[in-house]
Amino acid sequence: MKIDESLPLEYSTEENRLKILGFWIFLGAEIALFSTLFAVYFTLHNGHGNGPSAEELFKITPVMIETVLLLTSSFTIGLGIHAMRLGLKKAMMTFFVITLVLGLGFLGTEIYEFVEYIHEGATIQTSAFTSSLMTLLGTHGAHVTFGLFWGTAILIQVAKRGLTPETANKSFIFSLYWHFLDVVWIFIFSFVYLKGMM
Amino acid sequence: MMKQLFPKQHVMGFVFSMVLSVVALAVLVFDMSYKMGMAILLVTAIAQALVQLLLFMHIGESEDKKTLYTNIIYALFVGVVTILGTLFTMIWGYQML
Repeated sequence: MKIDESLPLEYSTEENRLKILGFWIFLGAEIALFSTLFAVYFTLHNGHGNGPSAEELFKITPVMIETVLLLTSSFTIGLGIHAMRLGLKKAMMTFFVITLVLGLGFLGTEIYEFVEYIHEGATIQTSAFTSSLMTLLGTHGAHVTFGLFWGTAILIQVAKRGLTPETANKSFIFSLYWHFLDVVWIFIFSFVYLKGMM
Repeated sequence: MMKQLFPKQHVMGFVFSMVLSVVALAVLVFDMSYKMGMAILLVTAIAQALVQLLLFMHIGESEDKKTLYTNIIYALFVGVVTILGTLFTMIWGYQML
């Protein structure tokens, strides 16, 4: 394995560079996936039948909490990667732990929100609106859940093996995934929640 | 040490994305037309996505950047066609008749 010292660790081998490229291509496919879910939601969001409408269902407080938590976690993981590039393992791990805790807070708020919806009589089977809404939110939430496990596994590897070309590469790829989930959330925040309450 | 761990660029990017979220809230606070509201949401959402992509995801830093930009722009094209195409065939197409 040839290691190029002039590049950050996560890019330092040919394999690492290609893994990052491959992950970006995967993110392209994720854009297509979420686009189909947005398309379904935009088509069906007025079909609420006897169930609650978007305006009746959405509350701004949990949405703002979720947005702040996820935006901040995206910032802290960026700082984590920055610390990683400086070779500061401890700082990097601290930022990653903060990121995962914020992610957990996001997920907790979203689960609370779903429980509220169900109490208000809006389940995934209630109407075309709630089906498409919960499929979109659920897919995003499932990605965050997966990310929490993935991030934890990477943290354990970094703790055990230190910052090597492999662990740095995995951490960087995980940061791309996390930022991507933040971007998807921005669009959910704007075009599902804010538009729905407008 | 603190300065080293919190690079100015990242802090500015974070503040900017928070400001954009608050600006987006204007569509709820002020009474405005649907078109105006959608325009504000589009601008703030796209600006936030760009902050993430360019600043936090470092899309332009490696030698593969041309490939990455091509891939992401293509994916966005597919996404926009999927969404607008669906709306056209399922909703707008009927209203025009």
